[in-house]
Amino acid sequence: MAQIFPEWTNRLPVIIGAAVLMLLVGVVGFFWYYGSPKYTDVGYRPEQPIKYSHKLHAGDLGMDCRYCHSSVEQSPVANIPPTQTCMNCHTLVGLDKPTLDPVRQSWTSGVPIEWIRVHKLPDYAYFNHSAHLRAGVGCESCHGNVREMEEIMQVQPLSMSWCLDCHRNPDQHLRPPEDLTKMNWTPPENQAEFAGRVKKELNINPPVDCSGCHR
Amino acid sequence: MAKWGMVIDLNKCTGCAECVAACKTENNIAIVGKEQSEMGRTMLWMDILTLYEGKYPDVKVRYLPRPCLHCDNPPCIKVCPVRATYKNEEGIIAQVFPQCIGCRYCMAACPYTVKCFNWTAPDWPDEMAAALNPDVSARPAGIVEKCTFCIHRLQKAKEQAAVEKRDIRPGEYLPACAESCPTRAISFGDLDDPKSEVSGLIRSPRMFRLLEEIGTEPKVYYLSESE
Repeated sequence: MAQIFPEWTNRLPVIIGAAVLMLLVGVVGFFWYYGSPKYTDVGYRPEQPIKYSHKLHAGDLGMDCRYCHSSVEQSPVANIPPTQTCMNCHTLVGLDKPTLDPVRQSWTSGVPIEWIRVHKLPDYAYFNHSAHLRAGVGCESCHGNVREMEEIMQVQPLSMSWCLDCHRNPDQHLRPPEDLTKMNWTPPENQAEFAGRVKKELNINPPVDCSGCHR
Repeated sequence: MAKWGMVIDLNKCTGCAECVAACKTENNIAIVGKEQSEMGRTMLWMDILTLYEGKYPDVKVRYLPRPCLHCDNPPCIKVCPVRATYKNEEGIIAQVFPQCIGCRYCMAACPYTVKCFNWTAPDWPDEMAAALNPDVSARPAGIVEKCTFCIHRLQKAKEQAAVEKRDIRPGEYLPACAESCPTRAISFGDLDDPKSEVSGLIRSPRMFRLLEEIGTEPKVYYLSESE
């Protein structure tokens, strides 16, 4: 009598085992990469109501970040400037540009421009801009090289592990106060020594306790 | 490292519940409404327990404000399967809201019943929603919450002290209840500092702690009412 199962079926358990393993690795790997903020959040660049160029204002014209985001050193929130801030210059500059129409409209009507927020943390995570600036963490560490960006884009994942990496070892991100808004800043050779000194001087002790941010 | 603690003088407490109101507004605690409240789901981080003694017309009412007691040996953190509640290095029993899965083991373990559960998502009247405290996150439905000794105020005081390059001064960090108490019945401070007000007060012969015999070592002390 002929065999019910031909000989090749002997290899079937191995083949099925390998297929299941590959599927598992594939599924885990898929969510590992495509589910992480590195993929979902980095590169977020919404279209703003006005084509405002950070590259032009902060880069080519060399305006300081704090001219518009003025509360960043005093407050947890780095404010989005009101139309008044734009009009400080644009009552005189760019009067003939149609791209500025929405700004002038907002100025005359008193209705604020609805900018779209790019860097957004969840509500349950507390973040304080002023504390980070006081410690000497530059804008670039989280926001990337804004002076080169036509439109603002998120360049860091802003995930919890990313926050913790720096909170556990902030040495490479601490700068002297005059370099805070500099872009393309690279730590000098004696950075470790500088960081050690400044951490002691300013009593920098970044919280790694849950309640440091979640409260 | 400081060890934060509270002393409540029952001689001074009039039961006015200002601490309860201050706590509710400071920490964005949900208002559950009449129906839920009747089911025993009122959310209070600071509660005033009332004790009636004697029979009418000779009734004596005693008040006992009860926040989370921040036990040094807390039963709640031992049962939490996800470490959503833990003791930080300054002795505060913190509650990590996004970590909580709402299993409510900690509520069962707490001998003082200080924890409350969010049965529904919080819903504030419009006027109040605009006045929420930005330093404290609003909790969603399905998680447990409790008094945190206003840990966000500690964080703020530390940040301010760091700017001025000094340590936290006594009295700079007060929870909302201690700050608001009109009769100053609630004192708050560092129990490890022998010169602080609270360490002076706990040496009083009137000092007692709730359910001391079960060994939870609460860091909220009471001064009993004198007769």
